[in-house]
Amino acid sequence: PSPVVAMASVKKPKMEEIQADHELFLQAFESEYVLSAPIFLHRSLTYMPLRNPRLNAKRKMYKVDEMLLKVEKMKGDQESHSLSSHLQLTFTGFFHKIEKPSVNSENEQNSVSLEVLLVKVCHKKRKDVSCPVKQVPTGKKQVPLNPDCSQAKPAAFPSLLVSSNEFEPNNSHMVKSYSLLFRVSRPGRRHLSGEPNGNIDVLGELPNRKTRNALRGDGETTFIAQMTVFDKNRRLQLLDGEYEVSMQEVEECPVNKKRATWETILDGKRLPPFETLSQGPTLQFTLRWTGDVGSKSTAPVAKPLTTRNSDAGATESRPSGPRPAPLAVKDSISTNIQTRKEQILVEPRQKLRVFYQFLYNNNSRQQTEARDDLHCPWCTLNCRRLYSLLKHLKLSHSRFIFSYVPHPKGARIDVSVNECYDGSYVGNPQDIHSQPGFAFSRNGPVKRTAVTHVLVCRPKRSKPSLSEFLDSEEGEVEQQRTYISGHNRLYFHSDSCMPLRPQEMEVDSEDERDPDWLREKTVTQIEEFMDVNEGEKEVMKLWNLHVMKHGFIADNQMNQACLLFVEKCGAQIAHRNLCRNFLLHMVSMHDFNLVSIGTIDKAMARLKEIQGAPRVEDNSIDGHTEAQKHSKCQNLLRSAPSD
Amino acid sequence: MGLTGKRSEKGPVCWRKRVKSVYMRLRQLKRFRRADEIKSMFNSNRQKILQRTDILNQEWKTRRIQPVRIMTSVSSLRGTRECTVDSGFSEFSSQVIPLKTLNAVASIPVMYSWSPLQQNFMVEDETVLHNIPYMGDEILDQDGTFIEELIKNYDGKVHGDRECGFINDEIFVELVTALNQHSDNEDEEEDQHDTECSKKIPSDKIFEAISSVFPDKGSPEELKEKYKELTEQKLPGKLPPECTPNIDGPNARSVQREQSLHSFHTLFCRRCFKYDCFLHPFHATPNTYKCKNTESLTDSKPCGHNCYMYLIQESSASLVPERAKTPSKRVGGRRRGRVANSSGGSRPSTPTVSAETKDTDSDREAGGGDVNDKDEEDKKDETTNSSESNSCWQTPVKLKVNSEPAEHAEWSGADASLFRVLIGTYYDNFCAIARLIGSKTCRQVYEFRVKESSIIARAPVDDVDTPPRKKKRKHRLWATYCRKIQLKKDGSSNHVYNYQPCDHPRRPCDSSCPCVTAQNFCEKFCQCSSECQNRFPGCRCKAQCNTKQCPCYLAVRECDPDLCLTCGAAEHWDSKNVSCKNCSIQRGAKKHLLMAPSDVAGWGIFIKEPVQKNEFISEYCGEIISQDEADRRGKVYDKYMCSFLFNLNNDFVVDATRKGNKIRFANHSVNPNCYAKVMMVNGDHRIGIFAKRAMHTGEELFFDYRYSQADALKYVGIEREMEIP
Repeated sequence: PSPVVAMASVKKPKMEEIQADHELFLQAFESEYVLSAPIFLHRSLTYMPLRNPRLNAKRKMYKVDEMLLKVEKMKGDQESHSLSSHLQLTFTGFFHKIEKPSVNSENEQNSVSLEVLLVKVCHKKRKDVSCPVKQVPTGKKQVPLNPDCSQAKPAAFPSLLVSSNEFEPNNSHMVKSYSLLFRVSRPGRRHLSGEPNGNIDVLGELPNRKTRNALRGDGETTFIAQMTVFDKNRRLQLLDGEYEVSMQEVEECPVNKKRATWETILDGKRLPPFETLSQGPTLQFTLRWTGDVGSKSTAPVAKPLTTRNSDAGATESRPSGPRPAPLAVKDSISTNIQTRKEQILVEPRQKLRVFYQFLYNNNSRQQTEARDDLHCPWCTLNCRRLYSLLKHLKLSHSRFIFSYVPHPKGARIDVSVNECYDGSYVGNPQDIHSQPGFAFSRNGPVKRTAVTHVLVCRPKRSKPSLSEFLDSEEGEVEQQRTYISGHNRLYFHSDSCMPLRPQEMEVDSEDERDPDWLREKTVTQIEEFMDVNEGEKEVMKLWNLHVMKHGFIADNQMNQACLLFVEKCGAQIAHRNLCRNFLLHMVSMHDFNLVSIGTIDKAMARLKEIQGAPRVEDNSIDGHTEAQKHSKCQNLLRSAPSD
Repeated sequence: MGLTGKRSEKGPVCWRKRVKSVYMRLRQLKRFRRADEIKSMFNSNRQKILQRTDILNQEWKTRRIQPVRIMTSVSSLRGTRECTVDSGFSEFSSQVIPLKTLNAVASIPVMYSWSPLQQNFMVEDETVLHNIPYMGDEILDQDGTFIEELIKNYDGKVHGDRECGFINDEIFVELVTALNQHSDNEDEEEDQHDTECSKKIPSDKIFEAISSVFPDKGSPEELKEKYKELTEQKLPGKLPPECTPNIDGPNARSVQREQSLHSFHTLFCRRCFKYDCFLHPFHATPNTYKCKNTESLTDSKPCGHNCYMYLIQESSASLVPERAKTPSKRVGGRRRGRVANSSGGSRPSTPTVSAETKDTDSDREAGGGDVNDKDEEDKKDETTNSSESNSCWQTPVKLKVNSEPAEHAEWSGADASLFRVLIGTYYDNFCAIARLIGSKTCRQVYEFRVKESSIIARAPVDDVDTPPRKKKRKHRLWATYCRKIQLKKDGSSNHVYNYQPCDHPRRPCDSSCPCVTAQNFCEKFCQCSSECQNRFPGCRCKAQCNTKQCPCYLAVRECDPDLCLTCGAAEHWDSKNVSCKNCSIQRGAKKHLLMAPSDVAGWGIFIKEPVQKNEFISEYCGEIISQDEADRRGKVYDKYMCSFLFNLNNDFVVDATRKGNKIRFANHSVNPNCYAKVMMVNGDHRIGIFAKRAMHTGEELFFDYRYSQADALKYVGIEREMEIP
């Protein structure tokens, strides 16, 4: 369905104006168009109940025994059902438009004759060359030709009943599959058909789509179509619903029995093109499985009629298996959804029209785009309900402001650009790094840091109501704020302005107590004294670096600090022959009343120990590292470039 | 002399010319040298960069990186655009390729470089304008007067603006020597007299000429003096005369205790525990500190068979060493100068005060003339030593030269100096001294002590006037301190002054004490007695110290780990789990902050983890500058519309423009989630940023600049009134 764009302004704008307006529209929305919605598992979102295939309510009560009960009950159901149910076909009409129907209206018949056959394909027996096929005629009806859908009453349509007994296993042959064969014969000479397709197409489409065909002439024409009721695996293929079947014109000769088998038809590798529906003639009918003739639909009709017990579990669990041909069933209702029906807020069953009104350029202009389904126009997600759609738009496309306005035909959604949108990233913080510096650096799987997500969250939720999307003045700011809290932006290193990679999040790399430059600064500052000798300078530098590294703040830490100093730098002090200077430093600390005499003794004793130790193992690895340390220190002590 | 007179008529003109030309030549030489230096420095930096990029490139090479092909960009939905190349020749068909557009990447906000800091850094006022700020041609065109006014603020001095009149010591010496060669030549030509003299010191006419060219540099006599001073300094080897030789070096000399410890005493900052710290320009020397430790100094037991104690016991004669004055040669503070190799002007960013002011200051502290204050000092020594030396001095130590043949030991200069240092700390514990010296036995030490006794100062036996220590101190104080704080709080105007440790010996902290006048408490760094009435006693909380129940919290102070011993401020140094919540700034218990483009303007700062209300977030760090300097800098910042200035107290301002930490990126808001509080932290005012309300992960931080910048102290007052729990 293509969107219909209509200008709301009644005046006929000039071409330039339209173009200028278009430009403005693009200016407002173009930049915002390039966006990606966060990826959610939609079926798990609370506001998208229709996308959730299973029910959780029963889980609490679940017992294993229920499985057996369920299967037994189903079996019983199935038996009773299979005995009593019928397949009811109500034919709306045969649509086969000729060009300019109004001109030839008097010549046209208003009905065609339809024959419905039940085709049973049986299993091969040993002697058979091909599968035996049985055709059971179920009835002939006159079907209106090109009826006006809006006027006809449903009761007036011809209908056919196929007893479900027909689908019961046959004694002689095991039936492989059942299908319905529709044969329409239309009086009048056949003249032309542009249809080279030899396959019979089984396709469903929306009934209100008119088909056109360039077929003229008189004489009897036969169209056939075949639809599978149960496939090889005895899965039910035809559920309740309205169908439009594309018919295929056939030659005069009747269908060869041998060629008309299920396999033959479907073995065609080429899938029918979609256009067939619009070009070829179609037959429209409503299909219902009924308990009794004339009664209302029996609820669990869609259950397959299993004949093989061994298969029961498997078939049951896969009600919608792979289909042999694309089959779009309009308004089809699956079992689960039907059972769910009671819980869903009742919404109008009729088709909703959703109008999008784009506000831009100071709200003065607008363009309306109408869509008649509940797909999100930005990410084409089928939200299935208006509430879900609105919630989705609001949460996933926060670059825009959406406000809901009730509309006689459905809903109007005003779309405007959210000026307050903060532009920071919303979504998985891991994906942030596909930004600037990282855009092209990822190839294949990469190691990621662990991210913890809250998996279960049950906040108090108000009942879903459309009123929450109405344009309200108060709390508007709150609405436009980002819903996700946390690190949803790309951070940068404060020293280099380089983006922070996820593995760097945890370390506060720029908050050292003693940054490089400060260490160098203290060293050069001491080096600049002219009347301090080199021994004093070295001890002072070592001590300053030590204090800066450990950040001592209290007098009562000093005893410990001095002992630690010996531990860490003792080897250097000894190696560089600074022991007496170190003692002077300790005495000075004592003069400042910061260390006790005991500490001086202890520190000096430890220094003597250290002094003795490396001499012994001077050539060992320890001595080597010592030398390295030394040179490193010298590097450090090299004076900084002068200004 | 007649000749000189004659020369003086035409000589000065000639000399002036000569001075000018030589000066210009030297300047040019210097410029070339400097250019070379810059070049080589640039090249070495370049080399460093290359090495680092090599390392990075190596790392990148180990990774396998390929471009990711993006499947279909959204833009392809909207009509495909194409690129066509037309050759113009018919034989070549035009080439068409679909145009793929890359999405625009938003550029990051502007950031001027800054250096990271976790503690404040004091800098001097800038006397010259370092650069003329550029903020776009439009602004300069509109408002040309701005730059003029700016330059006027610096008395017209702009960095690098040294067309003429610029002369420093180095150039001066070079100039004189160069001119001296001229004069030698001239002298030889004209007459021979005075040659001996001019060899040593250049003739006066040189100084006269220099003085006339550079009149602002002083009279010829002053210049001559200066020259003498500068050249003399260079003559006796590498070290200036006042520098003690390295005690660990081969040239160690036997010097007095004060001299050995002089560098350590004068450079050590008792508040930062560092030498020549970044924050405090004035360092008190320790000899004015009171010694409080009452350790037992002597080992009661002999250290071995040959211990000196046996000697003492043997002899009965007593010899009390006489007290003598210690000659102290070295006075004055350390002087910082350029190391000979380094070049350029004076260091502009030296955080300490200049050499001159420092000298005078520590002169004052250490007692300007040795003689005047020496008695004073000695007395102080007496008083300080009296208490703890009781134990050792009560056991009478008899010093006597032993009748036995003395072990003859060579005392090197280093050993002798070390002995004198240690005797001042260990007194007569010769065993310990011997242990520390290492190379001598206690007997040798004892003998040396006897020999030295005539010149070693020792503490006298008598207590002079220090009252005996009383034990009631704490209780008395606890009864009064609350009232005191209350008083302080009520009487406080909006002015808070910077704290300077007070030092007024022999006078109690009364109205003349600088701490009292500045309405500050005396801190542990003050020279006054620990019983001083103006001292803040600390808290005795057992809780978290985050309510007004805590006297520290009430006084907008962080708990002092040396005063508050019960709240936990003095425990768990390594862990972040401190029971006291009122010591976060000093411990640097900041929160992890992350930087990203702000939602409001420029860069912003975001909190990594959720925080509670009133939790400490970060300290606002930066350069500490004077109010005047802040005014000058502020003019430029206002033009830039970007200021990191933050009022600290009446004397100083924190400027995070050049140095700072990440919190500098916090933006202003009238409805902020953080608040700033200036607190007294162990004698320093520091700015803490705290959470105004609970915050979630990833929230951007804001505080109200108006309070902090305009009047930080008013803000503190408001906070007090607001009754924050």
